Amino acid sequence: MVDRVRAAAGRALARVTGQALGPYQSAVLRIGIAGTWLFFLLRELPHRRELYGPESPWSWELGRRLIATNDAFSVLMWGSSAVWFEIVYAVAVLSAVLLLLGWHTRAVSVLFMVGVLSLQNRSVFMGDGGDNVIHLMALYLVLTRCAQVWSLDARRAARRRPGRDGPAGPLLWAVLGLVLLYAAVTGRLGAGWLAGFAALWVLQALWWTVERHDPDGAGRATLDVLANLVHNAALLVIMAEVCLIYATAGWYKIQGSRWQDGTALYYPLGLDYFTPWPGLSGLLAGSGTLVMLLTYGTVAVQVAFPFTLLNRRVKNALLAVMMLEHAGIAVLLGLPFFSLAMIAADAVFLPTGFLLWLGARAASVRGMLPGRRPATAGTDLAPEPGGPEHPGPAPAPEPDPEHPGPAPAPLPEPRPEPRPGTGGGGPAAVEQPSAGTS
Amino acid sequence: MDSNEREGAAPGPRPAGIAGLPGPYRVVAALALGAVSVAACWHLAMVFLHVAPSNTVTKRHGATVDAWVYPEFEQNWKLFAPNPLQQNIAVEVRAQIRTEAGERLTTDWRDLSAEDARRIRHQLLPSHTAQNELRRAWDFYTSSHDEDEKPQGERGALSEAYLQRIAVARLAGTYGAGELLRVQLRSVTRAVAAPRWSTETTDTAPSYRELPWWTV
Repeated sequence: MVDRVRAAAGRALARVTGQALGPYQSAVLRIGIAGTWLFFLLRELPHRRELYGPESPWSWELGRRLIATNDAFSVLMWGSSAVWFEIVYAVAVLSAVLLLLGWHTRAVSVLFMVGVLSLQNRSVFMGDGGDNVIHLMALYLVLTRCAQVWSLDARRAARRRPGRDGPAGPLLWAVLGLVLLYAAVTGRLGAGWLAGFAALWVLQALWWTVERHDPDGAGRATLDVLANLVHNAALLVIMAEVCLIYATAGWYKIQGSRWQDGTALYYPLGLDYFTPWPGLSGLLAGSGTLVMLLTYGTVAVQVAFPFTLLNRRVKNALLAVMMLEHAGIAVLLGLPFFSLAMIAADAVFLPTGFLLWLGARAASVRGMLPGRRPATAGTDLAPEPGGPEHPGPAPAPEPDPEHPGPAPAPLPEPRPEPRPGTGGGGPAAVEQPSAGTS
Repeated sequence: MDSNEREGAAPGPRPAGIAGLPGPYRVVAALALGAVSVAACWHLAMVFLHVAPSNTVTKRHGATVDAWVYPEFEQNWKLFAPNPLQQNIAVEVRAQIRTEAGERLTTDWRDLSAEDARRIRHQLLPSHTAQNELRRAWDFYTSSHDEDEKPQGERGALSEAYLQRIAVARLAGTYGAGELLRVQLRSVTRAVAAPRWSTETTDTAPSYRELPWWTV
């Protein structure tokens, strides 16, 4: 008995330190969140100055006074000029594009977070629940290795040949270092943020150094273990966060009289701010039975979701229901960006098999998808659990990011970013293949 | 990456993860494992207490929770809970202007929320400027003022300045060559009528909340 527990603990330890779990789930989250934010920024392009810029009724000075009371992070507070605002907005758009593509993700995810926080914290009262989801996920994504697949980083790593790596990574690192230095010297960053950014910056340099000098050594392996640990913890936090969102939304509803009498959904359908399609809303609101079913269904699904993680099949079914409900909310209540962000967050719970299928479909539509594994993408549709490597149920102390249910995960998948050759830390080794943050 | 070695490609494969590290490195990794685990649990506990209702623990350690969660991990998922909003709150504005001829006059009330609603109508992608700006500014104002319209602290003052700036921005261009002297805002709250299929009756008569005149 003791031996079995020990063996199980050993396997669990090997998993959380030996690999960054849920490569497809973290990639789909990265793509979803970056895509939603990008879509939002582009949609609001004509309104950007009113939302976060010099024409905002929430003036720079009002923003400064509020931030003085809560210490929120925003580089827009570094200066009130229109030019600085346009630069920050442009960098936010660019970082969203790059994160979506997974280009130098380790650095770009930090840039993305800076863009999200800077704009949102500049004008907090312009946001809604969707902005809140993006805000949290932007913070968490920094800690994940979210570009192991479906990214330019993965493709570059897979194709890497000596001398092929451009100077983009080190250049980006140097530029960000200069910005950080400027911010530090001029006292524009709080101590916590300064320490955090500096740590990330130094770690990146350390990573490259170790990678170059001793790519097969213990130092490099240790860094990998640390990065896996942080990634896995962050992924766990992300999944718990999604559960908290649904649990809070559901459990508080149970206490409401309108959710109890089955009419709750009727009321938002009559609110001017949430009825872009009054005809459609009226049609739905016209049926008392339908409203009641949807009202009860909403609460039941939200309350139940965290518990369904114990059963993979039920979880997947519920996941589909929730994504459909969010798609409905997007149109019916006119909350497309909130819904997109929630769907992206939900997607971390999707099974690997489905994501691979999705990837293969996308690849066949788009011709070529970075980081895809053409040889196996089709066959991996097969059932996830119980691969030959994991014959028995392997109880892990932590919920398994890939399969929050008890089902064991498909294990060590050949990484799409095989180490180029085994020897020598030539110039090729300067770049780190997998992304995310160390 | 050591996943490759685990595949058995390399001779003498190193065990996956922490077990494959030599002594001192393993100590570093073990310490990191401990630190990361504690940090993750701590963070989740703080966020949980932040979204949970007021309880024994938050009454005692609320300051710790707030210090951790604010400002960047703040969150509120009581979407339409415990009860959904059951009334339309329209924000209206009127202005006192001096015309070009030097005459003072007060305009009629203008329904800014109705203008927002028109901008939202038949839009697949409503803008935050139509959907959130005025609506949330009004929420901000009401949550930082008492019934006598007295501002509570800095937030009260900020919300007044914000609402006033929204009003002025929306009135821009409506008074020709005249001069905007003062603005006044009010809210008109109308309950959403009870469903046709229910036996309930709801009083849908509007109720008003009028703010004082503000000099621009």
